[in-house]
Formats: sequence, structure tokens, C-alpha cells
Amino acid sequence: MRVLHQLQSKFRLAGFVALIAAFPSLNAQDAKKGKEIFDANCASCHGIQNRGAGPALKDVHNRRSEEWLLKWIKNNEALRKSGDAQAIQVFNDNGGAIMPAFGSLADADIKDILGYIKEESAKAPKKAVVAPGGVDKKDETPDSTLYVLLALIGLFLVVFLLLARVKRDLDRLAAAGQGEAIDETPKGNFIQRLLPGPLARMNPVVLTMFALSIFGILGFVQFYEYGLSEVGVQKGYAPDQPINFSHKIHADEYAIDCKYCHSTADKSKSASIPALNTCMNCHKSVQARDKYDGEISPEIKKIYTALDYDPEKPANEAYGKNPRPVRWVRIHNLPDHAYFNHSQHVNVAGLTCQTCHGPVQKMEKVQQWSQLTMGWCINCHRETGIQVAQNDYYEKLHEKVKADIAKNGDKSKYKDKNGRVVVTAGMNGGLECSKCHY
Amino acid sequence: MAPSVKYWKGEEELLRDQAFTTAQKNEFAEDLPLQEVLEESNFELNSSRRDFLKYFGFSVTAVTLASCFKAPIRNAVPYLVKPEEITPGVPLYYSSTCGGCSTACGVEVKAREGRPIKLDGNGRSLISNGNDRSAEAKGGLCAVGQASILSLYDNERLANPLKKGSESDWTTVDAEISKSLNDLAAAGSGIAIVSGSLHSPSTLKAIADFSSKFSTARHIMWDAVSYSGILEANETDFGKKLIPSYYFDKAQVIVSFGADFLGTWISPVEFTKAYVRNRIPAQGKEMSKHIQFESNLSLTGTNADERFPMKAGNEGIYLAALYNKIAQAKGGRQIQVATSGELAGNSLAQTADLLLKNAGKSLVVSGSNDPKLQMIVNGINMMLGNYGQTIDLDNYSNQFKAVDRDMDALLADINAGKVGGVIFYNVNPVYSHHQGKAFKEAIGKLKLSVSFASSKDETASACAYVCPDNHFLESWNDAEPKANQYQFTQPVISPVFNTRQAQLSLLSWSVGIQNPEQDPMADKQIMNQRFQTSPFYTYMQSVWQEKLGAENFQTHFNQCLHDGVLTSEPKPVMVPAYATDLSSMGSYLDSTVSKEGQVDLVLYQKVGLRDGSMANNPWLHELPDPVSKVCWDNYVTLPKALAVSKDINLGDTVNIKAAGISLNNVPVIIQPGQANGTIGLALGYGRTAAGKVGGSAEKAIDSVGVNAYPFFQGSNSSRSLVVRGVEVSKGDASYTLAQTQTHHTIEGRNHVREATYADWKKNPKAGNDEPKPHMYTVWQTPEYRRKGATGHLWAMAIDLNACTGCGSCVVSCSIENNVPIVGRKEIILRREMTWIRIDRYYAFSNDGVVIGKTNEHFEGPYLTKEKGIAALDKELAAKQGAAYAHYENVKVVHQPMMCQHCGQAPCETVCPVLATTHSTEGLNQMTYNRCIGTKYCGNNCPYKVRRFNWYRFNNNSNFDYHFNNELGKMVINPDVTVRTRGVMEKCSFCIQKIQEGKLKAKREKRSVNDGEVKTACQRACPANAIVFGDLNDEQSEISKLYRNERGFHVLEELNVQSSVKYLTKIRNTETV
Repeated sequence: MRVLHQLQSKFRLAGFVALIAAFPSLNAQDAKKGKEIFDANCASCHGIQNRGAGPALKDVHNRRSEEWLLKWIKNNEALRKSGDAQAIQVFNDNGGAIMPAFGSLADADIKDILGYIKEESAKAPKKAVVAPGGVDKKDETPDSTLYVLLALIGLFLVVFLLLARVKRDLDRLAAAGQGEAIDETPKGNFIQRLLPGPLARMNPVVLTMFALSIFGILGFVQFYEYGLSEVGVQKGYAPDQPINFSHKIHADEYAIDCKYCHSTADKSKSASIPALNTCMNCHKSVQARDKYDGEISPEIKKIYTALDYDPEKPANEAYGKNPRPVRWVRIHNLPDHAYFNHSQHVNVAGLTCQTCHGPVQKMEKVQQWSQLTMGWCINCHRETGIQVAQNDYYEKLHEKVKADIAKNGDKSKYKDKNGRVVVTAGMNGGLECSKCHY
Repeated sequence: MAPSVKYWKGEEELLRDQAFTTAQKNEFAEDLPLQEVLEESNFELNSSRRDFLKYFGFSVTAVTLASCFKAPIRNAVPYLVKPEEITPGVPLYYSSTCGGCSTACGVEVKAREGRPIKLDGNGRSLISNGNDRSAEAKGGLCAVGQASILSLYDNERLANPLKKGSESDWTTVDAEISKSLNDLAAAGSGIAIVSGSLHSPSTLKAIADFSSKFSTARHIMWDAVSYSGILEANETDFGKKLIPSYYFDKAQVIVSFGADFLGTWISPVEFTKAYVRNRIPAQGKEMSKHIQFESNLSLTGTNADERFPMKAGNEGIYLAALYNKIAQAKGGRQIQVATSGELAGNSLAQTADLLLKNAGKSLVVSGSNDPKLQMIVNGINMMLGNYGQTIDLDNYSNQFKAVDRDMDALLADINAGKVGGVIFYNVNPVYSHHQGKAFKEAIGKLKLSVSFASSKDETASACAYVCPDNHFLESWNDAEPKANQYQFTQPVISPVFNTRQAQLSLLSWSVGIQNPEQDPMADKQIMNQRFQTSPFYTYMQSVWQEKLGAENFQTHFNQCLHDGVLTSEPKPVMVPAYATDLSSMGSYLDSTVSKEGQVDLVLYQKVGLRDGSMANNPWLHELPDPVSKVCWDNYVTLPKALAVSKDINLGDTVNIKAAGISLNNVPVIIQPGQANGTIGLALGYGRTAAGKVGGSAEKAIDSVGVNAYPFFQGSNSSRSLVVRGVEVSKGDASYTLAQTQTHHTIEGRNHVREATYADWKKNPKAGNDEPKPHMYTVWQTPEYRRKGATGHLWAMAIDLNACTGCGSCVVSCSIENNVPIVGRKEIILRREMTWIRIDRYYAFSNDGVVIGKTNEHFEGPYLTKEKGIAALDKELAAKQGAAYAHYENVKVVHQPMMCQHCGQAPCETVCPVLATTHSTEGLNQMTYNRCIGTKYCGNNCPYKVRRFNWYRFNNNSNFDYHFNNELGKMVINPDVTVRTRGVMEKCSFCIQKIQEGKLKAKREKRSVNDGEVKTACQRACPANAIVFGDLNDEQSEISKLYRNERGFHVLEELNVQSSVKYLTKIRNTETV
């Protein structure tokens, strides 16, 4: 499945490149430069066709004079304070959202921007170009594939056996035709006769045992996996989520820190799924319209629906009165009798999220990376060192370790076979039952 | 000196009752409940062999098929807009005020993700810390307060307002009530608001606003159990109808006549905190002496240094005798009484001597509700100069303000048609007034009857409208429990049901403040703006703006809410003017004297259930009574002599009859310590409209216990707790009480130690100086117990001198650790689940004859096989001139008992699956998921503290308490596993709190501070009896206590190296 996802995202990327390439080349020099400046300074709040945090800028050169625009862009607050009615009007219409002053932009720069806006305004809204593979298909579960394969293998086996028997009979007949003596009573029993030569020569008991044990092993593997899933071990679990949120885009492409959204991971037992309000910090203005023909991305729209937010309204307006919370599907489910605390691992031990969750930043769709069984936890506690030196909580332990090493040298229990100093969680009671079960 | 005292837990142990000895030998007190377990809903096993094969075949196929399926989908729904202060997984703490009773202790509410899960005392509140104004004051909370959180999640609370018994809505109800009120006022017909004692400034203002709108309105306060006697006595003596503040910590001699001030009297948490401060023997500080005269053995009586059984009917003449003795010494006028009042062994004379020696440093209190007796008490305290020292009328208490006569007047007015409308707020007179029936009829005559009850209680069922009040954890409020000392209540959760706080109801009918608009976001539990807009919050602010001033008001007010209190310097204490002449009271007192052979009934409140208003709270029923150790019932407490004369044994019932009222087939216990000629019966039971737990006639659920309120009446103004001349006869029925006193017994072993104060002064190891037994062990001392260990070594110390046995820790532990409630039937089968129990040991005391002299009779091991208790009884009867007089004179030791976390734990070595193991921090760990339920550990535990889950108590309709409905489960502590059937459990030293404390320290890169980790029992204790900490920290409080000479381990000779140290009980007497 992962391969399929990677393929999908590659296709999507290719589609995106194709889209860019399909643009008509920009002829006006100032508009091209204007786009650069616009993208760097304005695009986070303004769209041309659509509004972001600020109003849409289509045809702004017709609505306002260039002189006014220069003043406004350079320092809109001063302009408002000067009592300019238009400026105050604009400010109020947008719900008092404050636009930063761009005093650093030269007049020429601003004119370039306006050139770009003028050119863009003239264009019709973009046509929808759906990148191949851009729409997620409903995934088939890997289990059913496996069954189909198994069934096919079984079928082929039967066909193979039948053909082998036919061949044998034909061989015998052919031999008879050539006048060779036919052994009228074929040796061995039915099964042996059924089997091809090398197999038929084997001891039937061994053969049966062999076949049975293969079935047994296959059955056991199935049963074991089922058993694991029954007790909540579901490595590789990657359910469909109500919003197709891509960690790849956010954590990898945009390199947003995990703890920006999972902000409680270093202070609470729960890393917590971020409140949708956190999404809105960016997605008030980031609407990915360029990918959806000027429409808001359907996934981002789901955030707006959940919060009952109207993107056409000024950005700082409260959410609506009819919100619909998002029911995410929990992927990492520890049993109730196991206590796990994120802050212990993230904050105190300084582990990265990837240690347990795997390369989430590469996942289009999050899946459970680790097994999350007790054995898996314990192994890590046996191997992972405690940061005794950096934390005063471990002061006494640190002293003891130092003393022990000074006394015993390489034979100290705090040194591994490579001579490295290791104080593992397990050495400090991290393997005891009631550290996690109470 | 080896202790010469023989302790016993109950008469059955003393008499070697056969049932007791058999039960003790058996592994299980009853047969195993196999059939019941198998019949549990999800455990169907009624199948034949063919069925078995079918199921087997089916399940193999099913398993094969099921391997195609995924585990059940679990959802996670994050906030849409996360409130800034909430971090999922991290608790928040809010200051508030307990609404369990009008005492109003300050509480700290622990809330997880917006749902309160635990209450504890707020150290800043002068009530919960016992007037301790120091910065390190600790707050305690009683069992009722601890349990009150469960009432919030009671799914039998009213979900909507009621009109004539059926559900209605606020708009309809408001419109009709407003109209009715206006009509009544216009017609000049009286309107009465009847409330319990109120001291909230904002609530009182709301009522005043109501009264000014409706000219015919008046406000009456009435308490089910009142302090009318004290209020009226103070009104006569000082012209002030109020209850003073009592400072038990400033008194060197405390004399109580039947006042259970550690259990139920006025402000038990405050008094316990103060009392205990002077009860710990320490160098350079004199321990106080506490003398108790009483009929029933109360919690306070069990803690007294000297306890004298007293016939409550004669309290008047005893008080007069004490008064006269002091008056004689002080040269005052005496009360002329014809009957000589003296108790056995000149105890009154000796008490008078002690009081005179400690004049100005003593305190005499009485639990009587007779104003005349309280006037004598006032007179005694006045002569001793205690006013201004231990009694404070200037910084008085507001906790109880109601006098009984007001209610009688109201009933007369209703019947006379003068009052046409009554609003009941926090009172339930149909149940708790002796004329309950008359009240019910009177309510029927009213044009308007409204109740603010949060459930359909007895009075609410009779009222036309019920406008359910919020739980206190859903309300805004303030309180003034002590004059000029304020407390605040803030909501911690939005109202669970469509309820409205009573103050708002009153305001919406009078000044037209509307119901808060329902915030649609709040309904979806997303963003809660509702409290900010609660009109009562605004109203309260306007009240406080007047007090605090407009400048920086919001900051100041927010600080008040944060602290939960607004404390100001106490007023200077004055000695009040006093000119009462008591000399003519003699004839009244003579008239009260009990006749020979007369039996007096003494009504009392139980420490758990109190006045019965929280009778639907299962924890209060499950909590064993601190003295009798009976759960789930009230009963008549009989003195041994009476029981023998009437041939009444445990399991029998009695009929009691007095003043035209009779109660039949009331269960009995033979209560050691019960004064001869008296019997006791607890109020607060026998509810008929409490709900599924307390009893409900509507739902055909039997009442728990019998209602004793009809006996609580008075010929003069105040109701009397003493009912004179009761006929007692043996009933026909038999009844088994759920009594835990001899469950989990460790009989025959030396588990408590005590010494006298005098001996302790000579030798701090007194009573604890047994030679250490020789210890052998096959184990090596583990590294963490050796010197220089780097980790923690958790341990606990319990001071038997501080512990009063109140049971707050039991409830606190159970709520913190998700301990299930098992109910009466299971307790009878010895299957209670509480992790901590309080063992109460009786011992015959020194005859109660002489203070300061040894009695040769009680020296040495007097209970021998040859001698036997029967022979002793006979011998003592001859000596004392009365049969069974020694049963009246018992002394008591309370000993909290929980898992001792033995260093070499017997349970660990017998577990076949290593489900119980030892941690490197000295904890005995219990791993539920490894446990296969062999119960070997429980059998091998010398302390009998392990509990087995005979059932799955959650989602089990046989145990319909809070674990069995969605709402009740909200109280579950999310950090502690809910155990299932078939596993052992026991005290974990609140491991979740230890881990939390350690983690906090690690995150902040520091070591764990002493006192940072507090167990639930320690946190709750109103007596500071429990200390928990790290023994590897030399400077910690626990290390200091471990070095205390009084310290001993229970059953030290077994060498199990327990981690709980008890401190020897020191009694301020001359003899042990």
C-alpha cells in the first residue's frame, strides 16, 4: 500500500508540474517581478480571485487610485489615522483586521505588484485540472488481496497436479505405443500416483506431515495476526480519516514542527489531536485554491464545515453556531490497563516522535508504525539510556554511576561491551509492573 | 512495659462466638458465589454437549472469518476550539466551597477535561484548616464532602423542572409561578421561603430582593438537625442569636457533654483540625485533656482521654452539679437542685477541679438542644473565663442559624390560611420534621408550593412545582461561614441537566433576571461561554463590588475566586456582658430527672449520612460507621445490661415506643460503651423518596434503615435529641446487619500500642518499648533499601494519636482509586472492596471510676481461658454493684489499615503468576492483568488488606451504583484502571500520584520535593494523621517520623518489613 501511495503522490506532483508548465508565459516584465514580490509579501493574506485573511484583489487598480494604494500599502495605519474615509471604510469592511505596514517596498515594487494584479485580473478563473491520482480511491484491504492470492495458488496447484497426472498417463500410453512393457499395476497408492515423480517417491507419512505443517504454519500466522488485532495490536493500521490530512505535506514539505499541532506532547500524557482552531491559524488564508481551480480545497473546506466558518466573511469573525466536530479514527490504541505518558518520553527522555510513530512526515495517510506491544516497550526500556547528566532529578543516580565507573572501570555494570556508558531506563526500574500498570 | 490491655473488635470476638470462630478459620466466610458469577449477564454457559460442538465449530469458523476484520474503530474527537487553560490529560484545580452541608468547608476541586473528579480540602479556608492562619495550613475534608461529588453524577437527579409531578419547561413554570406570586402578594396572602441555614451574602441579597418585591414574603431558616438550643441560650444570655467560634486548640481541658464535635457537631472538620493540634505529644508543649460525658458511644467519645457514660436524660443535673462545684470555688450563686448529681467515682468533682486549674484555658460544650442546659454551659464557661479565650462571640459562626420554633409557627400559619405560598430551598420537612405528615397535608392546602430540590424528594413530591437547583459544582455562590470570613463557589462543570440554581429562580420571579441563554456551543461541549454569562455571576459581582470597591475590582474578585476565600483579620475578642442568674433553674432540672428503670432514647447523626439529605449517595451508606462499623442501616444501640435483661442478641430486632410513636422491628446492635438506661438511634435513615440507593416508595425500593425523625420533637421551643421513657421490647423479626467490625480480623496479635501521657513524659518510648524480636531472613537486603540508595523509598506514617477514625480517608481513597461499591448483601458476605479500612479496637477501660488512680483489677492479662468473660462479668458486677457496668466503660483505638507494602511481602512469594511483585521504590505492586485470581496472596497477607473482585462491578445491573450508568462513570479517575472480575486489588500507595509527582519533577529537572506527593487518604485527612514520603530523603517529614520513638510497625515480629509505621497512641490519663 505504501508503494501505491508513493506512486500516487508522484503522479500528483507530476500533474502539478504539468499545470505550472501549461501556464501561458508571462510577457510583461513588471508583472513577472510583481508576482515574485506578491508571492513573498501579499499572498499569505490576499488572493487575486478569492479572499484570504484580506479581501480579494481582483480589479483593485480600478477600484482605488494608484496614489492611494501606495499610501495604503506602505502604512495603512497612518493613512487611517489621517482620517482618510476610504481607508477607514476598507478597515471596517474587513472587520478591523490589521494589515502590516510594508514601508520597505519601493514605489516601483508596488507598481510591479499592481501590474501583476492587473494582468491576473484580466484572466478568467482557472479551469479545474485534476492531477492524475489526485483523488484517493477507496483502498482495498491487503487481507483480501492475500486471500485472492492464496485461492489462486490453490487453484494452480490443483491444475498442476491434474496436468501432471495426465502427462504421466500420456507418457505411459506413449511408451505402450512404442512397445515397451507397461507396468499394468502402477506402484504406490492413489496419492502417490497422483503426485509427480520426485514427490511420489517420498514417504507418504512425511509428505502428509509436511503438507499439514505448511497449512499449520499458514493457519498459525493468520491466527496470530488475528489474535494480535483482537488484543489491540494492529501494526500497519491505516484507516481512512474524515479529513484526508497529509502529514507528508505538513511535516515534510512545509517542515512544520510536530509539536506545533500536537502541542501537549511535552506536558501531558496525551499528545492530543489539535483543535481545529489550530488548523485555522494557517488555513484561514491557506486554501490551496491553485490546485482546485480557484475553489477552496475540499479537505480544507471540511475544516470550515466543522467549525461552521464562512470563508467569505472577514477573517477574524467568530465561528458559526452550528459546528460539527470531526470524529477522527484513533490509530494508536493502548489497552486501558497500560498507562503511557507522552511527556515522559518526549520531554524527559527527549525521544523524537519518529522513534515510536515511524516516519510520519513521509506518510500521506498515517499508519501505526510500531507494534505497541509490551514486549516492544520493554525492549526499548532495556536499550534506551536515561539522560542522567542533563536532569537534576537523576543527580544521585548520576553520582552513583560516576562512582561505580571510577571504581570498576570497564567492568562497571553501567558500561556495555563496547565500553560505552549506558544507564538504561530498565536499570532504573523502568521494567517494573507498576511503572505502567496501575 | 508490656501492654496489659486486651483489645477486641466486637463482642463476638470477646465471647468467642461460634460463628465468629468458624468464619475466621474458613478461607471464605461464605460459599463461593459460583452460580451467581456464572449467571452474570455476559457469562451464559447453559449449553449441552451438542451445543458445545456447534458453538465450537462455529467459533472456529468465526475466528477464521474474523481474521479478515479489523479491531473495532475507536474515535477521537478533539476540541474545535480548545479552551486555553485545558491541556488534555492534565488536571486543573479550582477553589470552591463544599455544599455537602451548611458548614461550608473550602474545597479544591480536581477537574479533568472539564469534569470534576475529586474534592479535597482547601488549605486557605479557615473551616477546612481549623482557623489556622499560617501559610502552610492544610485543608481537610470530611467523608460527606468527599462523597458529595457523586451526587453531581447521580442519574436520578431531576433533568427538568416539574409541574404537578410531570416534566415541564422553565418558561411555563416561570410564568405560572410569577403569576401566582403576584396574585398572592396582591391578595395579601403570605409567601414563605423556607431554607436551611444560609450564610451566602449574595443568596441572602437575592432573597431580600425577592422579599422587597413581594411585600408579603418572609424568609425562614430551618435545619433538619438544628442548634436551636445554643442559639436560644445565647440570645437569652448575650442578646445574640448566634453560635460562637470554639477554639479547641486553645483549650487545655476539653469537656464535652454528648457533643460529637469530631464527628457531626456544628463544624467537625474545623474542630478536628484544631483539636488535633493539641493532641500530639511533643516536647515543650502540653497535650490537652479531653473528658467526654455521653450516652451513645460517639466518634468524639472514642477519642476522649476519659469517657464517662452518662444518662442523657439527667444531663441537666450533671451540668448543674458541675456548675455548682465551680460556682462554689469561684464564690458564685449555685443552682438549687433537689437531686444530687454525681457520676460514678466523683468524676464530676474531679472534672471541676481540672477545669478550675485550667480556667481560661478550658472549654465545656454540650450537644444538648435544650436552651436551658446550654445556658448552664454558658454559665460554666463564663465562670471559668473561657469567653474571649476558647469561645469567641465576636468572630462568630454563621454555619447554623435556624431555630426550631420558626417552623412550628409557619405550619400554624399555613393551616390558618395566613400563608398561601411556600418555597422550599434545601429543606425536606415532609421527611425530616416530626410533623412531616401534617406538613404534607399543609402543602396540599397551599395555593403555591415550590421546591428547589434537585431530586424528587418527600417534600418535592408534595409540591406543585419543582425547580431543580444545580449541584454546588455547577453553581456560582459565596459563603460567610464565619463572620467576615468569606468563601466562594465557582462552577467546575456546566449543568449536567436542565437545572437552574435556586438563586436565579428567585431572581427571575422577583427582579426578572432571565434564565441564561443556552449557548449552542456549550451544548456541543465545544466552547463554553455559559458561565461568563450566568446572570447570577453578574449579580454576585454587583454584591461584591460594594464590598471590594470598584477600583481594580475584577482583579481583586478573580483573586478571591482563585483563592476560594477572602479572609480578613479577626476582630479583637471581647468578654461579653453576662448577667444571667441561673439559680432558679433548679426546679426545671429536677423535673427532667429520669425515673428509676426508665430508658431514654438518644437520637444522633451518623458521621456518614448526617441528616439524611444525601441518602441517595451510596458511598455514605457503604462507609462503615466509625464506631459500630455497620454499613447500610441504622439500628438501635443497646447497652449490654438491657440486652441481657430482655434476652436480645445480635441479629434480633426491637420495638420501641415513646410519645405515641412506635417503630417496630428495628435492628439492634449491642454497643459497648452505651450508657445503661439509654438506647441510641440514628437520624437520617428511612427515606421514602431518596432514590434507588436510599429508598423510594415510588420505585418500590425499600428504605435503608428506619426514620427516627418523628421522635425528634420537643415540648418547648427546641426539639430534643433525648426522648425520655421509651418502651423497649424484643421484636419478632430477625435482621442481619452489614457490620464489618470483625471482617479481616488479625485477632490475637498485638497490633495497637498505647501508653499514658505521664509515662510518655518519663520515657518517649513508653508503650513501645517491647524488645525487638530476633529477625531472621533468607533474603538479601535489596539495593534500594541500603544506605546511599539513589531512588525513592516510599513509606507512610500514621499517628494513632491524631487519627480520630472519621472515615474521610476511606471515601477519599475509594473515589481516587475507582473502588466499587458492593452494597449491603455483599458486605454481609465479607466482600467489601475498600482499600483502606479503619480498625476499631475496644478495650475495657479502668472502670471509669477514678481519674488519676490505677485500678488493680485491670492490670495483667485478665482475660484468660480459665477466667473467661462470663466470670469476669460476674466478678465485676459484684464489685460495681451493677450488672455489666464495665461494658459501659470501654476505650477505643482507631487504626487505619491498608496495604503495608512489606519489604519482604508474604503475598509476593505465594503468587504463582508473579502478579504481585516488588518495585525498587519499596512498593508492593499489583498487576491486574497478570492476576488469575488464585487469592493465595489474600490468604497469606497478615494484615488482610487484599480485596478480590468477586464480580465485575461495572456495567453489572446487580450493583446499580455509579459504575453502572454513563453519568455515574464520569467520576472515574482516568489514571486508574477499573478492575474486572477475578482479580485481586489493594492499596497502591496511590501509585498514579507518585508517578505524576516524579514526572513533574523530571520535567522540571529537579528532585521530588517533600510533601509533593500526597496519597488520597493523606490529602483528605482532617486530622493530619497520615504522612507519606520518601525515606531516602533524610530531611523529609516521613524520615523524621520514622525516627520518632513512638513509631512501631504492626506485627513487626513477622519481619515482613512493612512500609507503614504507626505512632503509639498516647492517652492523657494516668493509667492505660
